[in-house]
Amino acid sequence: MSSNNTGREVILSIKHVDISFDTGHKKKFVAVKDANFDIYKGETFALVGESGSGKTTLGRAILRINPCSAGEIDFEGKRISGKISREEDRNVVRNIQMIFQDPAASLNERATIEYCVSEGLYNFHLYKDEADRIAKVDKALQDVGLLPEHKSRYPHEFSGGQRQRVGIARAMIMDPKFIVADEPISALDVSIRAQVLNLMNKLKAEKNLTYLFIAHDLSVVRFIADRIAVIHLGEIVEIADSETLFKYPLHPYTVSLLSAVPMPDPVVERTRRAIVYDPSKLDQSGEKRVLKEIRPGHFVFATTKEYAGYEEKLAVMEKEEQNN
Amino acid sequence: MENENKNLNDLFTFAEFDEMESEHIAAPRYSYWKSVFRTFFRNKFTVAVAILLLFILVFAIVQPMRSGYSPIIAPNINNAEMKFLKPSPEHIFGTDHVGNEVFDAVWAGARNSIIISFVSVAINMLIGVPVGALWGFSKKMDKWMIEVYNIVANIPFLLLAMILCYVLGAGMKSLIITMTCTEWIIVAYFIRTQVMIIRDREYNMASKCLGTRTGTMIVKNILPYLISVIMTYISRMIPSLISYEVFLSYLGLGLGTTNASLGQSISLYTSYMRGYPHLFWIPVGVLAIISISLYIVGQKLADAADPRTHM
Repeated sequence: MSSNNTGREVILSIKHVDISFDTGHKKKFVAVKDANFDIYKGETFALVGESGSGKTTLGRAILRINPCSAGEIDFEGKRISGKISREEDRNVVRNIQMIFQDPAASLNERATIEYCVSEGLYNFHLYKDEADRIAKVDKALQDVGLLPEHKSRYPHEFSGGQRQRVGIARAMIMDPKFIVADEPISALDVSIRAQVLNLMNKLKAEKNLTYLFIAHDLSVVRFIADRIAVIHLGEIVEIADSETLFKYPLHPYTVSLLSAVPMPDPVVERTRRAIVYDPSKLDQSGEKRVLKEIRPGHFVFATTKEYAGYEEKLAVMEKEEQNN
Repeated sequence: MENENKNLNDLFTFAEFDEMESEHIAAPRYSYWKSVFRTFFRNKFTVAVAILLLFILVFAIVQPMRSGYSPIIAPNINNAEMKFLKPSPEHIFGTDHVGNEVFDAVWAGARNSIIISFVSVAINMLIGVPVGALWGFSKKMDKWMIEVYNIVANIPFLLLAMILCYVLGAGMKSLIITMTCTEWIIVAYFIRTQVMIIRDREYNMASKCLGTRTGTMIVKNILPYLISVIMTYISRMIPSLISYEVFLSYLGLGLGTTNASLGQSISLYTSYMRGYPHLFWIPVGVLAIISISLYIVGQKLADAADPRTHM
């Protein structure tokens, strides 16, 4: 899993990261266990899992909000987890930005949109003079399809989709290289989800961004992501290209997740059967599971015995695909 | 079929649709402070009380300047005819046991009581709010501040007042010190709790992700949310400090005999309650009017400062 294998530039690499929370008892709660993957420059990497699986925790660890208890996170080859200098911390803030889940909760209700959007500019003094700052705010608002006249308004005067776009504008004004989008459309109305997703894709192309897209909804992820990692109870169980993952899901948890996606075809939907994930059917020998590369770029979390099973299953699926 | 389609096409034309138009907000521009005052002045009762309060405050400052009242000057002390007069047009509140005007005594007292409580509240807030805001934000500071609080807040107020009064001597300065030296930490503790409630909200995390420093975060993200809470607190604190002053002066721990104060008047006139009850009831009534009107105006202002009432 290095840049050598694929020849692509790695922008962010997560190396054997554990994140745990102190519960006050002796036993710590481990939210993320041994997460290990790379994100390439210019791609949209999706992290999918049910609630409580640790996907948001991992996203926040990248932004240095949650500390890692083991392992390290590298951004452009430099370690950004643990203790780093103040200057490096500022550098992380400038280059890695976040889009939040709930646009209503993540905007300061007592500040105008102008302040919300220029907050990052103030903190890093990224403007020459007042006129330049206002020009930048106007540009950022226009980029996300809002009007400059909205500057003097307060967040409560906006609709959900507009607020989320303000959230995007305030992240984009920093000119970041990497964006962690923490379920950016989960709190939005279905009718405006596409609006925000299209905007994110447009900005990605314009500004050459890399996204870590955290989601629980596989149908959305298929639309936006290049690669997908499936996380379950803090462990990454499968990583693959979007199309590969949808075509050849190997891990039983991935299979059950995919089976839960509603189909737009009524005939298929009527016969769709949601598969319940049953971890007791996995190899119980007690062997430690590791992420193994079963095909180039396709990783699955397995013991040796399970790996053999997945290999067999994959061979069958590939054969079927060829026959079709 | 084709005909029908053609007819439909004739009947309907596509409406022009400007996407930017849908982003336009039709509501009038919102301004926080303008809305606060509009809400405040909407209630006629509140406006009446506010005018009454303003009148009392101005009168309490202007009247003693004109009268030059001091409790140790009693020009009519040997004139028995001037003592214990009933309220009349010449002597609005009547005269007391040394022949002084009760009207002058009450307003001079009210002025001192108001000055003491306003200055004390200002000091308590100026120290308590910033300390409390930092205290609520910093987990490190919380660890030792809570111990300081446990010690300071448990000092009995009356004991402290007595010691300070004997050490510093009676007077306005020592009374203000008494009312601020432990009270600020109680304000700080209250603010700390309020800050902790909103500290971990998502918009604060968003600010952190944008590199906002703690100080800016407190000023821009936390304190604007606390305006109405702080106002409620002030509106409760001013009357309670006035009562404290009255209480301490009544016990002889307050301003001393050389300064007028409402507490002093009340304690002096209590002895004449049987024969001349108006001597007692007038300062008590003035005190009640000041306290209640301050409380009502403060409460209404606090309500108006809450943007949920602005609709």
